[in-house]
Amino acid sequence: MTSLTIAKNISGPRWCRPLGMFLLAILISGCASDLQTKVSGNLNSLSKDQTVAILPIETSHAGQKEMADMFRQGLYANLKQSHFNLMEKYIVDSLLKQNNLINPANFLTINPMQFGEILGADAIVFSRINKVERSYFIVHSSIELSVSVQMVDTRTGEILWRAEQTEHDFSGIGKIPTGIFTALFAPIQFVTNKFNLRKMTSKMLDKLTALIKKPENAETNTKFENLVIAKKATTDLKKIAELQQLKAEWTQALALDEETKSAVLQGETTQETRKETLALKNDLLPPTPVAGGGVQNKVRSMVHEVLAVETEMAPLATVPEPKEQKDATPTPLNMLKATLATPIHIENHGKPPREIVKPEKNIKNDPIGSAAFYTVQVGAYKTKAYAQNLLSKLVKKGYNAFVTRNNKKIYRVQVDKFKNKEDALKLAQLIQKKEKLKNFITRATAG
Amino acid sequence: MGHSRISPFLTPCIAYFGILLAGCGTVDLEIRRGHTNSNMLPRSVAILPFTLEEPDPEEVSPHELFRTCFYNYFSYLGYVDLPLKTVDQKLSQAGLTDSNKILQLSPEKLRKILGVDAVIRGRVLSASNFTGGIHAETSIKAKIDMLDLRTGDILWETEHKEMTYSGILSPTIVDIIQGQLANVNVHQAYFKTAEIFSVNMMKEIPDPADSWKGEIRLPEITYIETNLKPNLKLKPNDRIYVSLKGDPGLTGYFDIGSWKSNIPLKEIVPGLYTGSYTIKASDKVTNSLIIGTLKSKNGLTGKKFYKNGMAQFDSSSTN
Repeated sequence: MTSLTIAKNISGPRWCRPLGMFLLAILISGCASDLQTKVSGNLNSLSKDQTVAILPIETSHAGQKEMADMFRQGLYANLKQSHFNLMEKYIVDSLLKQNNLINPANFLTINPMQFGEILGADAIVFSRINKVERSYFIVHSSIELSVSVQMVDTRTGEILWRAEQTEHDFSGIGKIPTGIFTALFAPIQFVTNKFNLRKMTSKMLDKLTALIKKPENAETNTKFENLVIAKKATTDLKKIAELQQLKAEWTQALALDEETKSAVLQGETTQETRKETLALKNDLLPPTPVAGGGVQNKVRSMVHEVLAVETEMAPLATVPEPKEQKDATPTPLNMLKATLATPIHIENHGKPPREIVKPEKNIKNDPIGSAAFYTVQVGAYKTKAYAQNLLSKLVKKGYNAFVTRNNKKIYRVQVDKFKNKEDALKLAQLIQKKEKLKNFITRATAG
Repeated sequence: MGHSRISPFLTPCIAYFGILLAGCGTVDLEIRRGHTNSNMLPRSVAILPFTLEEPDPEEVSPHELFRTCFYNYFSYLGYVDLPLKTVDQKLSQAGLTDSNKILQLSPEKLRKILGVDAVIRGRVLSASNFTGGIHAETSIKAKIDMLDLRTGDILWETEHKEMTYSGILSPTIVDIIQGQLANVNVHQAYFKTAEIFSVNMMKEIPDPADSWKGEIRLPEITYIETNLKPNLKLKPNDRIYVSLKGDPGLTGYFDIGSWKSNIPLKEIVPGLYTGSYTIKASDKVTNSLIIGTLKSKNGLTGKKFYKNGMAQFDSSSTN
């Protein structure tokens, strides 16, 4: 029966009605509750076969531990009434401990997918006790509780349920004490008796979990309008996508380079190149086994990989300082066939790099320039923008860089054109040293 | 003279504190000697149907409500608890539907039927719900014990009465009215009383969780491989192949994000599981990771994400 219905049904003498309304107003205000809860449409697809883990509750200070334990137990019992297959508390706690995840305050900074691997759960429930406030002032005392809960699908990072609730109750004059004695002692009893806190927590959980226990009954205003992905999952998924994109580009570029090299250099490569190629190919192999707390490290290493590749590909160092020119160190003969991977000591002597290494027989001054030539390839991209980005950086630094596109639609960033390999090699060495750009010499046809 | 002046003040005081103490409701759980060692505690437990010693009220079955509520809280402890439906199903399959007769069964018979180490038996001795004027009360009095089916011993037992009360001794008028209103919903009132009973009991029941913690180990998946590649757009009739390597002899399956779950994997050689899914024209999967899962007999699952490619549907193929 709602309060409104009761109000309508109040009958009797005229003075009874205002009194009844007054009492009802007190009843309503006596235990205030503010609940904001929303569920995702995909929550319904979480079947009994899928497991849900309730993580330890985050608290803002140590004094809330008892409340947190009470809340977690109550949340577990309430969700047990739903169709969820809940992971037992001791299993969750044990697995978290095995992975050194003991501080609930850090849980939201971890990708839900990691929790999926650590706990073997399809969804996890994060909760936080925002406030447990007890106040007492002679004839009035109150308790205020505030919690936040979030259920996240570990497979997608989608937020399936989010709720925030504040529950407030008091004891005092406002509730019309039954006598002088109760007016004095009831407020004390209200804040000191743990039973009241438990009763409030229980009441709070009933309201909080009402929607998730029957998500099929959710109305429009309690449903997420769009797919909401947890922040940490969004970031990491983006990184994974970027990594996949880079790997795809590298794979294509490598395949292309291998073809070019085998055609021009007759399939001979140095040990360094082989190592580099192998390392990149290994990236595409199945992930290495992850044991214990290794999941986090694995993701970190993947993120690091992305950054490493970006660092390797994108930024260029500051403009080389002009130095006095000096003859280049003699190059071993076997290097003529090689893609350069390790820097070789070359000194600049006061001139910009392009001028220093500009070969005597630069193709531009050479009559054979219109035919086949050697060039230094510093990058290959499927995306034109990436190639142009590198090109502009190189051009700004004074390199005679250009972009070509092959029949596989790969944009190749190349620097200068040479008639003979030695000249190209000198430039390759310089680029390797100054710009930290891995490169190789390739042969192309002008026009 | 002095006595008569103090007495009117003392009487409500004593009554009030009596009610307060009654509200605290601590359960006096008797743990039998020799059963305090958590290593000796049973691992798997089934909660048998509770009985009601009184005629069943028309509106609700307090003993069934209590059993459900008790189970919800008991699951929180470190026992492997058989779901109530499974317990009822197994008993029913054995031709046992009368709760009183089930309680008479020998430990050996119960163990054979349910396959668990211990059972919890609950007898609701009395249950009442009364709302009238300025007095509202709901109470459950029950005797509950845990019987070790391995030895036939009772590990612990309790007889307790839990009561929620609202009436003339409540401290405020608002509390009285709120109590009356809450007690009118009989189902809810019984459930709340059962909840308090259960919570109080859980504080006393020995929890073996610490004994098992060291044994928890999820099935291990050493690698997962699929034929998905970055930027690969799937078209109808394309097939996603998944293979994973891990602990042998388990149940394997894979998910495509949350969009498609529990696609079975077959163990082709010990520890190597393979399976596939063929894309249908109606499928609309976008950027979903493949997740391989191995499930052990005790229900623990190990998961591994394939991060080198995502399942993406080529929307242009249906246009």
